[in-house]
Amino acid sequence: MQVFKLCLKILKKNILTLLIYVIVFLGVAAIMASSSASEQVKDASFKQSKANIALLCEENTPLTAGLKQELAKIAHFVELSDKTEALQDALYFRTVSYILRIPKGFSEKIMNGEQIQLQKTVIPNSFSNAYIDLTIDQYLNSARLYVEQIEDISQESLVQYLKQDLAANTAIELKINEKQAAHQSISNYFFNYLAFSILSILILGLSTLMLVFNNQDLQRRNACAPLSTTNFNRQFVLAVLVFTVLSWLIMAVLCLSFTLKYGININTLYLLLNSLVFATCAASIGYLIGNLVKSPNAIPAISNVITLGLSFISGVFVPIELLGSTVLKCASFTPTYWFVIANNHIASLTNFNYTNLQPVLASMLIQIGFAIAFFAAALVLGKHRRLQ
Amino acid sequence: MIVSVKNLVKRYDDILALDHLSLTVNDGEIFGLLGPNGSGKTTAINCILSLLKYDKGEIEIFGQSMRPEAYDVKRNIGVVMQNVAVYNELTVQENIDYFCGLYVPDKRLRKELVTEAIDFVGLHEFSSYYPKKLSGGLLRRLNIACGIAHKPKLIILDEPTVAVDPQSRNKILEGILELNKKGATIIYTSHYMEEVEQICSRIMIIDKGRAIATGTKEELKAMITMGEKITVESQRITETQLNQLRRLPSIVSADYKNKLLIIKSSKGSNNLETVLEFFKTENIQFGKIYSELPTLNDVFLEITGKQLRD
Ligand SMILES: Nc1ncnc2c1ncn2[C@@H]1O[C@H](COP(=O)(O)OP(=O)(O)OP(=O)(O)O)[C@@H](O)[C@H]1O
Ligand SMILES: [Mg+2]
Repeated sequence: MQVFKLCLKILKKNILTLLIYVIVFLGVAAIMASSSASEQVKDASFKQSKANIALLCEENTPLTAGLKQELAKIAHFVELSDKTEALQDALYFRTVSYILRIPKGFSEKIMNGEQIQLQKTVIPNSFSNAYIDLTIDQYLNSARLYVEQIEDISQESLVQYLKQDLAANTAIELKINEKQAAHQSISNYFFNYLAFSILSILILGLSTLMLVFNNQDLQRRNACAPLSTTNFNRQFVLAVLVFTVLSWLIMAVLCLSFTLKYGININTLYLLLNSLVFATCAASIGYLIGNLVKSPNAIPAISNVITLGLSFISGVFVPIELLGSTVLKCASFTPTYWFVIANNHIASLTNFNYTNLQPVLASMLIQIGFAIAFFAAALVLGKHRRLQ
Repeated sequence: MIVSVKNLVKRYDDILALDHLSLTVNDGEIFGLLGPNGSGKTTAINCILSLLKYDKGEIEIFGQSMRPEAYDVKRNIGVVMQNVAVYNELTVQENIDYFCGLYVPDKRLRKELVTEAIDFVGLHEFSSYYPKKLSGGLLRRLNIACGIAHKPKLIILDEPTVAVDPQSRNKILEGILELNKKGATIIYTSHYMEEVEQICSRIMIIDKGRAIATGTKEELKAMITMGEKITVESQRITETQLNQLRRLPSIVSADYKNKLLIIKSSKGSNNLETVLEFFKTENIQFGKIYSELPTLNDVFLEITGKQLRD
């Protein structure tokens, strides 16, 4: 196991450089944790004061009154003048997070059993909004059901039915789901951010290792020894595997230490699996770069450009929703993008049946595809060099 | 016979690096491969070690045909490459231990061997240094220690003293003689004729990938017509006297420049005496006078028509 030990020693010699990225991760994670904690406080007070919603009602009927009543349970109404500028300002300064317009003829359409799409303007990414959406959907869907089932139902009795119906509904359960969803999204951020550290550590570590092993003089000296190439390569690959898994393990444990207070569930397990898949991909990138660079001095620069670049365009630092479509199109040619996509998907899962998991598994498969492609490219390159 | 190379041909694209090179190295020898830069020494060594593919030829070591997977043969060879090849991430001791460990799996035995090798090259006080901190000479010594720690029967050293100061160089040469005394057969390449003359029991001179002469240094010097070179410091020598000198028996040439008279004689003894007698009869005053035997450079010069070192 001489070669295996040699690899570990070379990596150990570079441990300080690698530790920097662990420390950077810890620092940023600590900041994220404290900011998410204060957000939680906001969340809690939010539930009491409810989401702020502006309702622009263009008609006044029992049905609109009923909807208003339902929304009043979960939201707080803010009066706004119906001017575009005023509405935009309200959203921008977060006076409201949701603006709902009930158009003229709304009640009539419901009574006729027609499909209705209410016009809404929202602050993206707010959980209370999802809750409002849900309430509206429920109200409209139930109304349509009653209209279909009971002929010539009056508006007043319909509102009565709806009131009973929605009162019996699982508002409490929804609240729990909401809380869970919020926590899930925090874990999700941590795991997304993991991509940066894992990429940095594996690219730096493995490319440094590769550079040493691609030194022709050392290769020749090793070739003089009575050690078969197969044996030599086997030990090398083993060392790469151990390093990859160890780096992943350390980073995953650190990441978990921040997210543990939100509990471990199946989502966490899938997040872990996805990060391991990504680690193999990062290893393949490091391996490829190690075959491309000629000088050890170039490694940190190249590594930074690649990790920062990949992280920025594929939603590691900035939520993917805020990135432009061109950027995302480019990002979809990178494994980090698929890692983040899979993470985001996993975070939104509540039911782990095959159909729901399919997009997650597909994203993982794409990452594995990238890993295979990078390893293959590195091998071809290595062979090409040897023939020269 | 330890090494036998027959008709080795190696081409790099359009360069013919080795042109039907044949050589044999006998048990217990220090075999010197002497040639100017680019003459094919390193190429020959790399082919012998199966590190390079060659176009033609047969190579046997310890009576077995040498192939990349001839591990039994490799086990008994120690190699010191021309380029220092050590791991910058390992200390002196760890480097020697790593390379030794490729040959000697037993840990306890290896520990002894490594200590011995460190003492042998005199790196004791540097054993925990990283290579980056070693001077050029010390680095060369580490390079040697890595190649010989496992006590091989055959040691191949490719210009181990390049860019080493004279003191370190002598240490290295003494070390090689010592290894040889302990029973190792040695192949030593160099473009320094002094080194090769100093330690090698048999020498092959190569040029442009071809062997141009092989033998002991005495045999090599006997191959050429030139005898000793006599140098005289003198204030005044006339042209007539110079011509008279040239006509003396066994004197090949005589030149006077910058108050230095250089006389080259053909083979044979008593040349110095003849010259001294001539000076006496002509009553020429002179300061220092000394005579040198021909060097391997002269051998190279006479065979190839050019200097061994440029
Ligand atoms: N990898 C290579 N590709 C092409 N030509 C090469 C290569 N290596 C060596 N040569 C050529 O082969 C010839 C012999 O080179 P080699 O290195 O064997 O010489 P050498 O005797 O070891 O010289 P030196 O004393 O400088 O080490 C030279 O002309 C050199 O230019
Ligand atoms: Mg050479």
